[in-house]
Amino acid sequence: MNTGRTYFAIWSVALLVVLAISPLKDFFREWRWYQYEYNSLTSELPQRIKPADIGIKQIWARQLDRVDRCVTCHLGLKEKALSESRQPFRAHPQIHHEYEEFGCTICHEGQGPATTFEESVGRVEYWDKPIFPKDYMEASCGRCHKEPNVPQAPILTMGRKIIEESNCIGCHKLEGFDRQWVPSLDGIGSKVNRNWLVRWLKNPKSYFAKTRMPNFFLSDEEAHLLADFLMTFTSFPSNAHLEPIPEHLGAVSTSARDKLVELGSTRFREARCISCHPINGKGGYVATDLGKVASKVSPQWLYNYLKSPKRLQPGVEMPRYRLKENELVAVAAYIGSEFVDYEMEELPAQTPDPAYYEKGLALYKKYNCSGCHELGGMKKAEEMGPDLTTVGDKKLYEIDFGNVSIEHTLPLYLFTKLKDPRAFLASMKMPKYEFTDEESRAVAVALLGNTRDAIPVELKVFPKPPSTYSPQGEFGKLVDDLACFGCHTMFGRGRLVGTDLTRESSQAQSEWIKTYFKIPYSLRPILTERMPNLFLAESEIQVIVDYMERVFIVDSLAQGIHIVQTKVSEGRNLFFEKYGCQACHQVYLKGGYVGPALDKVGSRLKPGWIIHWLKNPQALNPESIEPNNNMTIAEVEAITAFLMSLK
Amino acid sequence: MIKRMFERLFQSQVWRSMFRHGLPESNRTRAETVFYNFFLHVHPTKVRKRSIRFTYTWGLGGLSLGLFIVLTATGALLMLYYRPSVPQAYWDMKDLQFVVSSGQYLRNMHRWAAHAMVAVVFLHMLRVFYTGSYRSPKEFNWVIGVFLLVMTILLSYTGYLLPWDQLSFWGISVGTNMVRAVPFGMGETISFLLLGGNVVGENALIRFYVLHCFIVPVAAVILMGIHFWRVRKDGGV
Repeated sequence: MNTGRTYFAIWSVALLVVLAISPLKDFFREWRWYQYEYNSLTSELPQRIKPADIGIKQIWARQLDRVDRCVTCHLGLKEKALSESRQPFRAHPQIHHEYEEFGCTICHEGQGPATTFEESVGRVEYWDKPIFPKDYMEASCGRCHKEPNVPQAPILTMGRKIIEESNCIGCHKLEGFDRQWVPSLDGIGSKVNRNWLVRWLKNPKSYFAKTRMPNFFLSDEEAHLLADFLMTFTSFPSNAHLEPIPEHLGAVSTSARDKLVELGSTRFREARCISCHPINGKGGYVATDLGKVASKVSPQWLYNYLKSPKRLQPGVEMPRYRLKENELVAVAAYIGSEFVDYEMEELPAQTPDPAYYEKGLALYKKYNCSGCHELGGMKKAEEMGPDLTTVGDKKLYEIDFGNVSIEHTLPLYLFTKLKDPRAFLASMKMPKYEFTDEESRAVAVALLGNTRDAIPVELKVFPKPPSTYSPQGEFGKLVDDLACFGCHTMFGRGRLVGTDLTRESSQAQSEWIKTYFKIPYSLRPILTERMPNLFLAESEIQVIVDYMERVFIVDSLAQGIHIVQTKVSEGRNLFFEKYGCQACHQVYLKGGYVGPALDKVGSRLKPGWIIHWLKNPQALNPESIEPNNNMTIAEVEAITAFLMSLK
Repeated sequence: MIKRMFERLFQSQVWRSMFRHGLPESNRTRAETVFYNFFLHVHPTKVRKRSIRFTYTWGLGGLSLGLFIVLTATGALLMLYYRPSVPQAYWDMKDLQFVVSSGQYLRNMHRWAAHAMVAVVFLHMLRVFYTGSYRSPKEFNWVIGVFLLVMTILLSYTGYLLPWDQLSFWGISVGTNMVRAVPFGMGETISFLLLGGNVVGENALIRFYVLHCFIVPVAAVILMGIHFWRVRKDGGV
């Protein structure tokens, strides 16, 4: 009987202990210590900071259907006094969103509802999205911000730009990117020499370091097969063929040839070819390097191309310079004599594989060359890379990390893949783009934002619809022929290497525009001169100016303008004394180098423009760095009168 | 004095209205104590000494009942926090771990008791088999017992879907696909009936929830009533 009671007593106590463990464990939860610690930390600070009520806290981001309990321990997010404090109490840096509205995990990832460090950071089993490393934070901006340029997220913007420029959509499915123009390969057999082509296919960047064409790591055999295959395509798009160089200009004697080359050199400089084309890495960045081009293309192709670029290469953004026949030959001769790669060795002669065409075509399809290039009306190949529209949701178990010893996370996988596309498996087909660490990270950031998150449409920012502006008539033909959109923006369409021309005729006087076409110069002393001399005919310039006067003009900028000649000296005083404009602008050949020179501004700008510009520069160009001085109307008119007197 | 107080209590109207017999001092009143008590009436009036030997039964039937009571109690508490809907089920389960006081303890109790019950019920069946307790006149109760084992396994299986994680999803997918193999064209129908559709989704979740929390437990309780009644009438504990 006694042993029975003893057993009963022992078991009862044991049961009580077991039952007590649960509430005790509950009481000594990790977050509770953090809250006590926070309260003792803040009580020692000189500033008054409200102590935390002990208990679990959470943010319910209703629109996003997320509950984040991170704020249970991150108690000082709003306290500026804690901006230097240790984690988890440090204040959140200034961002453009209220975290109370959006919660934490929509940007940071991790397991929001968890209440322990390990679980909330999410590096636990069965949680696919651990907290983002700091370098990849901007990936989250991309979930809602679908526009190409997100000013607050420079890494994301850079990544998107690289994705667009590298034409990733040639092989991968991605949303929000435009197909890039890539040269057509039709006629390549009449354009380049085989020796060059083999080297190019082996490693494009050895010829032109900044080329967008990636390295496919072709074997010698593959490069030869593909080159032989490509060299069979000798006719250009729309069945265009090369015209022969006029024989009488073939320059037989050495002295005549020297003269021709000299003329070519002059025109080459006047046309400012290097505004777009670099020469051995120096010069513009818009077009291909010309440093060794004579070892690549035939003189006949060069002559034909200069004569009419779009005939051989439809869609190319190269202007058709108005050069005369002898000048065309001269420039071709100059390029042929100057830009030779003397280091390029002849490849040893080789008998081509009898089945080179079939094998070359198979390689062309295998590496999905038609993802970017056009050739013989070939359709886009079936050989596509993976769909990347939701790559940010990729689960870790779906990824093969191969033998690479990196931490198994999605950001690091993407980074490594971009740095070295075949790192995980040598037989993969993705070519290498030679991205730097920074570029690889930026692209990974841009890709990680491609998720299936259920984000309400009203929270998303979509890109503006593309501009539908398309000039017609004589002017339209000229814009196409001169590839103006390659550098200038008009009504939201085109690149911005040069200026936005949408309001050009409200700004500049027609006479000045006419003279500018004849000798283009840079208005800002610190900028290099970029605008090429296109050698336009008077009649063509007249067409352009007439169109600009009608279309590139905002009537309201010219209305109600009073210029009083007597105010010139008052304006001069304001210009030099009160506002000190010469700090940035040159007048009388003296002054700063930041803004455009104003020496002859009276014959360049229209008074209405000057007045509106002085009132509020950012209203006309939001990115202008000219300060808004809040001038009075009288002051504005006086300065305008002074500037208009500078002729 | 204390003795006098008890005597007065036993003779009071209130006491007599509840307990109609006297203290179990004679054989007759001992028998009456068992007969007239709702909770005791399933007991046999007499139990053989050898059948209450612990090493004869190992208390496995009683343990099963105990576990069933633990499961009912913890299950009822878990029902306060759990919503059987696709968007919430998993997160309600996680919240038990993250925020509910002693929530993890409740869930673990329920889970381990469920595992233990399947094991104990099975061991109970083995014991009955080895002691030959299925023989006449207890054949019927053996059959009821087999049904109770099925109920236990069904309870365990239906509860498996409720956390709504990958394991549950695929567990139920595999199970219901096995049901499809039932011959005579009935497989598809039974599987459809179980899932309320062709795939494991919201309908399956709500069906398994109702099965787990109401239908199967009620069936088990009824079978248990008959089972215990028979055990006692046949002279078991």
